[in-house]
Amino acid sequence: MIQTIRIGLLLREAVAAPYRNLVTRPTGAAVRTRIEATLADSNCLTALLDFSDIELVDLSCADEVVAKLLLTVRTAYFVVLQGLREDHHEAIDHVLTHHRLAVAAVPPGSCAPRLLGWVPADAREAFACVSERGPLDVSGLSRGLGWTVSRSRDALGALTVHRLVRPIGELYFPLQTT
Amino acid sequence: MTRVIEVPTHFDDRSFDTFAAGFGEWPPAEKVLVDARATQWASPYGLIGILTAGQALAEAKREKPLLTVPTSDEVKRYWARAGFFAQAAELFELHGKVPRSATTGPSDVLLDVTPVRASEDVHGVVHKISEGASRILHGELGLEMKATLRFSMALSEACQNIVEHAGTSGWVAVQAYTFRRRLGRRVVVIAVSDAGVGFRRSLESAHAKRFGERWGDGAALEAALIQNVSRFRDPGRGQGLAFIKRFLDQWEGKISIRSGTARLSIVPPWDEDVPMSDHLPNFPGAQVQIIIPAQEAKSR
Repeated sequence: MIQTIRIGLLLREAVAAPYRNLVTRPTGAAVRTRIEATLADSNCLTALLDFSDIELVDLSCADEVVAKLLLTVRTAYFVVLQGLREDHHEAIDHVLTHHRLAVAAVPPGSCAPRLLGWVPADAREAFACVSERGPLDVSGLSRGLGWTVSRSRDALGALTVHRLVRPIGELYFPLQTT
Repeated sequence: MTRVIEVPTHFDDRSFDTFAAGFGEWPPAEKVLVDARATQWASPYGLIGILTAGQALAEAKREKPLLTVPTSDEVKRYWARAGFFAQAAELFELHGKVPRSATTGPSDVLLDVTPVRASEDVHGVVHKISEGASRILHGELGLEMKATLRFSMALSEACQNIVEHAGTSGWVAVQAYTFRRRLGRRVVVIAVSDAGVGFRRSLESAHAKRFGERWGDGAALEAALIQNVSRFRDPGRGQGLAFIKRFLDQWEGKISIRSGTARLSIVPPWDEDVPMSDHLPNFPGAQVQIIIPAQEAKSR
């Protein structure tokens, strides 16, 4: 089950004005508080944050909304971003890399997520493999990428820590995006 | 007794120190008269520098200073169009005829002289700039389309520095004009200034110890602009200036920050400025200038 949260709507509530620019730390903190409140009332495990109504995301808001949310909800939810434009990617990627965090983002018109932020290079490759092929176990990833079992285990372990795959039993599932 | 401070004929970041020197020790004990009669041109940096002086005097509870407006009608009209007199009237006793209202029509003033008092004002600034910025940055300066949003981000981060660090309000202004002498190209200039505590005092409690005897206005600017430190313990802080520097590096832009008695610049190849100037005349708060030049044909 996915909880879709429209960031544009929360922004308008937070600033009580029809602005479409997600700027300033107080605004970012207010939006994040609303996201957390929405998730607290939800039974869903995946939060799909929809940025499609947003014109601009500055660094302060990327930090307050995305980075701090990931730090806060890290053990409880899977977070996926959608509706981001290329320039949104840049700000979010910058702040997440600074914190050594990562998040999956679904480009418009696609179901295949990409990673923003920082994960080890092997984990990034493993993420692409799981996203493309569907659920894999450690040996499946080893076969798919020609890696040793321990290398595959480490890569999937890193993705699990960053909440970028869903481990169920021996399998690692891609994040739900629809 | 009245201390007369002449506004330079050509008032920009280069002549700013002459203006600052006129005040002597801050705050000056005498009544102040800022004399702009002979001024022929002022950059946005210069205009909001005058306002900053006025605000610093008001906050020091000094007598309201006088400001004699430029004699040139053309200069006065330009200052009016930039929104300068509307703000100055609150801080100075204006002397001389001021144009009643701003001239309408196409303008190189992307953002009037605008007060920044709270984060709501930053929303207003970013909202206001978006349309004009695209026209100038992409249409005139030849920057890629996404530069408009990067520019707005830079503007947002620069204005937030006032709200978060200055401890008082400030101003921002954005204009496009031609840098004839220094560059021979069109530029867009963002100027942000406040009369607040300045970088040294803002960062002192968290970072002075690390610098030891070197600590001062210059070291504080170095910590903020080069090392990206912040006074907040939050590890997410201090990224705004780092991101602005990255953009400017791509665009051969320039950023300079003056605070107290020092000025630190990231100098692009087209400019001859020195990276660090120390022992300058003291001036309250912090003044930031970001210059983005038109891209040369080869890089378009």
